[in-house]
Amino acid sequence: MAADSFVQAHIDYGAVAPMLIVFGTAMVGILVEAFVPRASRFWVQLPLAIAGMVVSLVVLVTISRGHEVITAGGAVVIDAPALMLQGTVLVLSIIALLAMAEPLGTRSPDAFTQSGASVPGSPAEANAVRLGATSTEIFPLTMFAVGGMMLFPSASNLLVVFIALEVLSLPLYILTGLARRRRLLSQEASMKYFLLGAFSSAFFIFGAALIYGFAGSLDFDAINKAIGTNGGMDGLLAPGVLLVAVGLLFKAGAVPFHSWTPDVYQGAPTPVSGFMAACTKVAAFGALLRIFYVAFESLRWTWQPVLAIVALLTMVIGAVLSVVQTDIKRLLAYSSITHAGFVLVGLIALNTVGISGTLFYLAAYGFSIIAAFALVALVRSGGTEATHLSQWAGLGKTNPLLAGTFSFLLLAFAGIPLTSGFVAKFAIFSAAVGHGATWLAVVGMAMSAVTAFVYVKVIVLMYFSEPAEGTAVVTPSALTGISVAVGTVLTLLLGIIPAPLFEMTQHSTLFLR
Amino acid sequence: MTHLGGAESTLFWFAAPLSVLGALTLLFARKAVHAAMGMAMTMILLGIFYITEQAEFLGIIQIFVYSGAVMMLFLFVVMLVGVDSSDSLVETIRGQRVAGLLFGLALLALTISGVARTTFPSFIGLDKANASGNVSGLANLIFGKYVWSFEVTSALLITAAVGAMLLAHRERLRPKLSQADWSRRRIREGVNVAGLPVPGVYARHNAVDTPALLPDGSISELSVSRVLKARGQVVNTQTLTAATEEFEESTGDSTQEEGGQQ
Amino acid sequence: MQTLATSVPGLSALATSGDAGVAHNATGVASVGWLIIALPLLGAAILLIGGRRTDKFGPYLAVALSWAAFVVGLLLIIQVHGLNSGDRAFHKHLFSWIPTGGFNLDFGLLMDPLSLAFVMLITFVGSLILVYSLGYMAHDPDRRKFFAYMNLFIASMLTLVLADSYLGLFVGWEGVGLASYLLIGFWNYNPEFASAANKAFFSNRVGDFGFLLAIFFMFSAFGRVDFAGVDAAVPGTGKGTLIGIGLFLLLAACGKSAQAPLQAWLGDAMAGPTPVSALIHAATMVTAGVYLIVRSHVIFDATPDARLAVCIVGAFTLMFGAIVGCAKDDLKKALAASTMSQIGYMVLAAGLGPVGYVFAIFHLLTHGFFKAGLFLGSGSVMHAMNDTINMRRFGGLWWIMKVTWVTFGLGFLAIIGFPGLSGFWSKDKIIEMAFVGSGWRPWVFGLTALIAAGITAFYMTRLFIMTFHSNPRWEKPEFDPHEAPMTMKVPMIVLALGSAFLGLILGPTNIITNWLEPVVGRQEGHAVLSAPVLMILTFVLMVAGIWWAWRLYWVEVPVTPPVGTPLTRLARRDLGQDDFNEAAFQRPGLHLTRALVFADNRGVDGAVGGLAAFIGGTAERLRRLQNGFVRSYALTMLVGVVAILGVLLVVQ
Repeated sequence: MAADSFVQAHIDYGAVAPMLIVFGTAMVGILVEAFVPRASRFWVQLPLAIAGMVVSLVVLVTISRGHEVITAGGAVVIDAPALMLQGTVLVLSIIALLAMAEPLGTRSPDAFTQSGASVPGSPAEANAVRLGATSTEIFPLTMFAVGGMMLFPSASNLLVVFIALEVLSLPLYILTGLARRRRLLSQEASMKYFLLGAFSSAFFIFGAALIYGFAGSLDFDAINKAIGTNGGMDGLLAPGVLLVAVGLLFKAGAVPFHSWTPDVYQGAPTPVSGFMAACTKVAAFGALLRIFYVAFESLRWTWQPVLAIVALLTMVIGAVLSVVQTDIKRLLAYSSITHAGFVLVGLIALNTVGISGTLFYLAAYGFSIIAAFALVALVRSGGTEATHLSQWAGLGKTNPLLAGTFSFLLLAFAGIPLTSGFVAKFAIFSAAVGHGATWLAVVGMAMSAVTAFVYVKVIVLMYFSEPAEGTAVVTPSALTGISVAVGTVLTLLLGIIPAPLFEMTQHSTLFLR
Repeated sequence: MTHLGGAESTLFWFAAPLSVLGALTLLFARKAVHAAMGMAMTMILLGIFYITEQAEFLGIIQIFVYSGAVMMLFLFVVMLVGVDSSDSLVETIRGQRVAGLLFGLALLALTISGVARTTFPSFIGLDKANASGNVSGLANLIFGKYVWSFEVTSALLITAAVGAMLLAHRERLRPKLSQADWSRRRIREGVNVAGLPVPGVYARHNAVDTPALLPDGSISELSVSRVLKARGQVVNTQTLTAATEEFEESTGDSTQEEGGQQ
Repeated sequence: MQTLATSVPGLSALATSGDAGVAHNATGVASVGWLIIALPLLGAAILLIGGRRTDKFGPYLAVALSWAAFVVGLLLIIQVHGLNSGDRAFHKHLFSWIPTGGFNLDFGLLMDPLSLAFVMLITFVGSLILVYSLGYMAHDPDRRKFFAYMNLFIASMLTLVLADSYLGLFVGWEGVGLASYLLIGFWNYNPEFASAANKAFFSNRVGDFGFLLAIFFMFSAFGRVDFAGVDAAVPGTGKGTLIGIGLFLLLAACGKSAQAPLQAWLGDAMAGPTPVSALIHAATMVTAGVYLIVRSHVIFDATPDARLAVCIVGAFTLMFGAIVGCAKDDLKKALAASTMSQIGYMVLAAGLGPVGYVFAIFHLLTHGFFKAGLFLGSGSVMHAMNDTINMRRFGGLWWIMKVTWVTFGLGFLAIIGFPGLSGFWSKDKIIEMAFVGSGWRPWVFGLTALIAAGITAFYMTRLFIMTFHSNPRWEKPEFDPHEAPMTMKVPMIVLALGSAFLGLILGPTNIITNWLEPVVGRQEGHAVLSAPVLMILTFVLMVAGIWWAWRLYWVEVPVTPPVGTPLTRLARRDLGQDDFNEAAFQRPGLHLTRALVFADNRGVDGAVGGLAAFIGGTAERLRRLQNGFVRSYALTMLVGVVAILGVLLVVQ
């Protein structure tokens, strides 16, 4: 390394512009918090954030596609999978943010507390509510998280991966603790998420340090080149790879690093749970894909069996535990764990079908789960969200539209044909069978049958039981309406005509090294 | 341990156990101050390690920022919370500690076995990197190859600041009332126009928990805070007045008698 | 074919092999063959999306569209009929569905004699049921939804039989399951229906699990899952793979066709609100499994072992259903048991291979007619008797409901195989084919089929006598039996005509065998007993069954069921199928769940439905565990890390 002269890192701004736009919007959002009067902040922040993401998406599609490079001193790589993943994150984030912003006729997002600093249930909190305090900081925070999620799968260097991991996690820790209702649960969830997140980050850093010791570099390409040439230092490599995997699998919610998921999804503001379940998964699996396909590709015979076992455990534990859940948010959380297992099955297939299947699955699942959580947020009982399953009884009678839509989404999770869930599962499992992991496909099928049982239980509850006392469905504004409609329609469309998205994912399987 | 110099080696074997000791103090100390001091010790020792390994800038920053700023901030917080306050360290989950210890040791054993199987190449040292000075070398890296990481970290810092504000700062929702505002309000409302009565002043006591006495000898409810009353921390005036009488008796300075004489 | 000839030496020379010709691109009516599916689907869409606006004309529209699909199907058959027997298959590519890498799946239609036979059955019987429902559902406030679901069901069933690939078939397969799930009781808030619907769904999921696995196996072995591709690739494939695929397909068929060990749901599904929905399960949907096996005949031809499994399942279920049918007092459940048994015949026939495929389908067609007639008749009786379903409360109805009596009677005679009627032509052929072969097989399968025929005669006669004859066991003011309205009578009459004459038209004239032969192939087999002997034996057993039932029930039927023999009691409880399921699947599942739940914290007090009971105990233990602590979670992660690194160390 020539230390005597300063070499400026070349940055291809066309390639990183989408990320810069998102981060820039976040910072403008912070300024809005500082200078715009409280009463009008909501209607400034929401359009600003949406516009930022839409512009970013447009730039991504029009400009960045022509800039497939490794740029910024090897920190960022913009290639076909990165573009696909960034686009997925953006689209999912837009509909997730619409659901998160749902004001229910007020000037503050309904799911978020109006005064995060006050003690739950205190006069100060009541005062803040009365005087119309807002938590519109959630918009810039979300934008930072989105920026981190976009960087995560396009990072080409373990250091950047780590920073992106923290950039996307920190806002999520905060957002988790800001639920308007059941605030203690929410704050507890936030604390748990933060502590466990720090714990997993420590493993990641440890792993990255071992790998740096092995390869002398944090760049993916250099690591891959070092594998096989640095004989005698393999003792550092394999533990390093697996510890790095631990940090990422934690974010993806894979067993045995899943234990935060149910508590956090239950405690977080409901639309935030949807945002995490959809977008964080895309980002985390995107990063896993890149790291394992680029940096550790030569070491596949080491990590593949380990990840296969993790996938197996994730599917089984997620599915079986979802059977006994009585809280709809916890149920969806365990279901998301099972889905993470399915995605892992595709990820370890190590062929283009596996990559495209994984990308397809992430997008398809994201649309469904955002819509599902947005719907959960609408069911209320006694002023708070009715998340206990018994409170969902008879919704089919009292609110057929919500119950019907939710049932459809559940069927998509179950993987019934003509929903995106079926096509996605089909792609994943055919990839698994294609590379000889038939046993994983068999277990996956069995577990999807088990989860189908769970979803049907909910559907039966909604349609065959007497309506629960006191459960009411609030009428949302167009924001949630659009979010749910987009999620549901895409769930259907991707089931009937999946070809366009499939073609996109198939053209997004070549990693730039 | 092939190329470690003699002095460096001595320093390492002297300081390394101490830094581990500091870290263990952080974990096991009952009092927060001790834990913070233990952590500070580890931080300083880490700084020393960096310096001995030719990373002077990093070592100095480590000591300045972590030991100096961050740890002192921690200590301030600890002092605000109360130096005496200590957390309960009773473990309620059976087997948690044993399991934690066992698996922690297992992880240690596994990583050590990994490292032990490794044959390291000869050390390169930082001479080449430090050719134009340690700080310049670092700057070249930070603003050169790692500029993106450096810039993105700002997102992290902004998030942290906003998050701290969001979770801890209570926004002022109404303008603060000045003394004049309060006065006007009292006049307008016609209640306690002269302000609330001050607490009672007794021979041996003069505090917010001593209620004032009305002319008939009863307690003025308005003279003490509602909070103290609710907590039952208001002093019983009987003992206060009894003490006054006792005091007056001992000095022979009884106001009543004086009054009687005149 | 080599393996086949060696495994079943009693076979004569191969007559014709299957798959005579490659399917041609669709022309003429076939090019708009998709209309057959699209028309009922359109009906469902209009009725569901249109909402209450379509309440008035919706049902009529649904009926009209269903008939329109029938007409298209009929025109198609006429077109196909005019061609050489080898050219009677059309293929119509619709669109590219799932392209995953090197594996492109197109969605297309395969219109060959086999699928067209099904199209006729589904559209004709389905449309008749819709007409009947106009009367039966006249006063139901939710009848619009009912007709929408019925149209959805018909469309799914048609997709199932017309698809050109296993995956397309699977789409219809799931659609049928979903529609049936909706029909079992979506408009009826009743916990009993809920559990029935659940059971049906779950059994079907197990079947689907098998189906998907079969598809994945095909994909990995052949790289294709369309019928043509799979059929072409089978000869060069290893035996183990084929057996695996065959067994998984069998599992799928068991789930959908209510065959052992997944038979439990069918009886419970009869809890459904109308005999109409019961009927669509009994006469239409459950035949999908038979269709699947016959459609996969190339695979089964190549694997005699898988075929043996099919035979065993079929033989077991046909006996199982017959015995259960003898003990049921619930008219619909008795018919459901009989359905199970009859499907068992078809599965057995399909398992026999080329000697049986044709007759499996033949029996399926005739059964579709007479079982539909029986169910519609039972609906008519229920309609007349204030929705009573217990046969012990009927009796002597024949004089009051003459049309129902006659039509039901024809169906009854058909199902027991009364000479000359439909069932006789199809079932006797299956019994004869079951005796084909050598060694123990013909004797076991043949005698099972033969004896079950006698039992069938017994329980059907019992059912018939208890309902229409014997002493009336109802009182006038409480019950006021009356004949059904015209919309219900006409379909019953049409179906009764079918029950009587369809077999005669298709069977002895060899129309059905000639029609299906190009698709499934056919071999003449020599039974170990000669055909006339078998015919006489069957007839004697049938008469014995009738006589025995007549002796027991003709004079008097007690209103309260007698205690009965242990076998009767066991049969009343479905031969312990639920106990078996509980012991074999539910309990181990529970223990597994409990073991795993241990690690979870809160999700466990007061569960939903049937789960509540077994979760109670677990919840208590969990509260003591007091999980939900972040340090426990951290410990879990640490354990995970150590395990992963440990495994790695061991592996290396």
